[in-house]
Amino acid sequence: MARYLISRTLQILLTLFAFICIVYFIVNAQPGDISNVYAMNPELPPDARERLQNQFGLNEPLWKQFLVYVRNVFTGSFGVSFSFYPRTVADVIAERLPRTVALFFTATVFSFYLGFLLGKIIAWRRGGWTEYATTIGGVTLYTVFTPWFALMMIWLFAFKAGWFPIGKFLDPVLWRDAPIEANTLFGRMMLTALALSIVVFVVFVITTRLRIAGARLIQLGSIVASVAVMLGAWRLTGHGHLAWDIVKHMVLPVLTLTLISFAGTMLLTRNSMLETMREDFVLAARAKGLPEKAVRDKHVARNALLPVVTSLVFSLAFAVDGGVIIESVFSWPGMGQTLVSAAVAEDLPLAVGAFVFVGIFVLLAHLAVDVIYVFLDPRIRY
Amino acid sequence: MSGYPLLAVEDLTMHYQTRAGEVCAVDGVSLSLERGQSLGLVGESGCGKSSLALALLRLQPENAQILRGKVLLDGVDLVSLSEEEMRKYRWNRIAMVFQSAMNALDPVYRVGDQIIEALEQHSNAARQDMVERVGELYKLVNLSPNFIQRYPHEYSGGMKQRAIIAMALACEPDLIIADEPTTALDVIVQDHILREFGNIRKELNMSMLYISHDMAVIAEVSDVVAVMYAGKIVEYGTAEEVFNKPIHPYTRALMSAFPSVTGEKHELATLGGEPPNPLDLPTGCHFHPRCPFATEVCAEQEPPTVRRGDHWADCWNPPED
Repeated sequence: MARYLISRTLQILLTLFAFICIVYFIVNAQPGDISNVYAMNPELPPDARERLQNQFGLNEPLWKQFLVYVRNVFTGSFGVSFSFYPRTVADVIAERLPRTVALFFTATVFSFYLGFLLGKIIAWRRGGWTEYATTIGGVTLYTVFTPWFALMMIWLFAFKAGWFPIGKFLDPVLWRDAPIEANTLFGRMMLTALALSIVVFVVFVITTRLRIAGARLIQLGSIVASVAVMLGAWRLTGHGHLAWDIVKHMVLPVLTLTLISFAGTMLLTRNSMLETMREDFVLAARAKGLPEKAVRDKHVARNALLPVVTSLVFSLAFAVDGGVIIESVFSWPGMGQTLVSAAVAEDLPLAVGAFVFVGIFVLLAHLAVDVIYVFLDPRIRY
Repeated sequence: MSGYPLLAVEDLTMHYQTRAGEVCAVDGVSLSLERGQSLGLVGESGCGKSSLALALLRLQPENAQILRGKVLLDGVDLVSLSEEEMRKYRWNRIAMVFQSAMNALDPVYRVGDQIIEALEQHSNAARQDMVERVGELYKLVNLSPNFIQRYPHEYSGGMKQRAIIAMALACEPDLIIADEPTTALDVIVQDHILREFGNIRKELNMSMLYISHDMAVIAEVSDVVAVMYAGKIVEYGTAEEVFNKPIHPYTRALMSAFPSVTGEKHELATLGGEPPNPLDLPTGCHFHPRCPFATEVCAEQEPPTVRRGDHWADCWNPPED
């Protein structure tokens, strides 16, 4: 295992280098540079424009710029953003990334869970009207024109019903003179969510491993208890209402994302289930006298899970670049919007930096899949 | 419980609904099996042997339907039981050794745990006792206890087969259905396992329904033999009678299609043609298009039953006794 991880890490570094090369040259292939943004400005004298180019090293040949860039990346620096000057690229990403991750990670987990659950059910009750209704509904949502659907969601739930805010990350009126930075608070919220998931995960693992009687009750109880503790703790900090504001802003985009993407997992699960159901060990499980639910969940779904997990981890990896469309429609200041605005503003370091960041995440996710598989499938050993 | 045979199948009929039409896989089958007895069910591929086996456990596929007939286990009709009651009979009373033992173990669970899973369904014993029971079973089928905690892919083909047999024995069922359990193994391993399995079965006084297309294997393991063709039992009798004085031409054809190692040399006769298309069965005797002794009446009317003691067959032109 250790040897495998080392060789995989080397492979990842190699792939990353190739990825940086490609991204760097593609992004630089777009005509012009940051000075173009000012070119139309009659106030800008030609020598000022030249100074700007010299300052950022844009007068050097491209290959020299590239070598400097690669050296910087491998020493951990993504350079300075032009449009957010003098903030560094890493700083901008550090601000935007958590928001995108929070939104897309949550949505991906929800849509995976929903998709797996529904896929399991429709595979089991094949041919019934439930299958047709769910499949048609899911595929319609999956293929619907996303901006239109997102706008309809906003119109219905934010405008007509007024349950949720129309867009953005927070409500500025509420946050005026707030005693805490939105980003700091958001960071704490993410840490809370992480702690919560770890607690629940550990309880689930322990109860399943030790075969404790009434495992279901303990699991449910632990979820309720930890959520209560979390809510109580937030109340005590006095920032509860601010955190709640951010949560309210997240609901609609998460709901929309879940609805437009769950059908992918659902259909994959369904096909994987149908294939597994033909296996002899499923017949054997029935012959042993297991109830249908146990046959479905313990044997069929457990084996059908393997290909589905692969797709989940890859979609998690892409959750870091967010969605340009969803983030634009909901005015969510995340990575997707950053990418677009960086490209429009000719902020090449930020654009390349954002892409490279996504690349690193995807590569790490591939590694994570390989490691997770060791736990899911005993046939795989490195 | 006395008075009843362990298993009595009466006029069991099962149909498959397929896109091409209705297929009668099991056609009015009647059998009976005493406690401790071994019944060999023989026939070509596709004659309905496996369908019959699945119907006994009510594990037939969704598109299959038991139209009529009874499966009496100690006098209780399994066909009329509710699904929930039927579950209690599965494995506890009737266990099965599957056709493809290679795939009958779930790849993601340890083999020991899969046996315990069966035990858990049918007893309330403490987990520690079940673990011990698995150890006993492994000893019984000659498997090293080190393998209890291993996964199926770490087993060889023969070991998997032994594990499957251990699993079938776990709840001490009254009847074990063995559906071509050794087909995928090489002859030597096959022979070993058959012998051991037979001994264990006799020791524990279990009944067995052994399904195979291989006459030689059937001869080795059965007390009673039933020959199946196109969903029907065409000949039935003790192994001795069926092998020494076969009545049905199909039985004779099956027997001469297998070489005898110890007996005298003879030409291996191959049975011409193929099993009939189940969607379009021949009229009269289903076997008549392939039968060397067929006469006109065979194509027109169903054959009568010829009885010679307990040994019987359905044929128009039986050989002289």
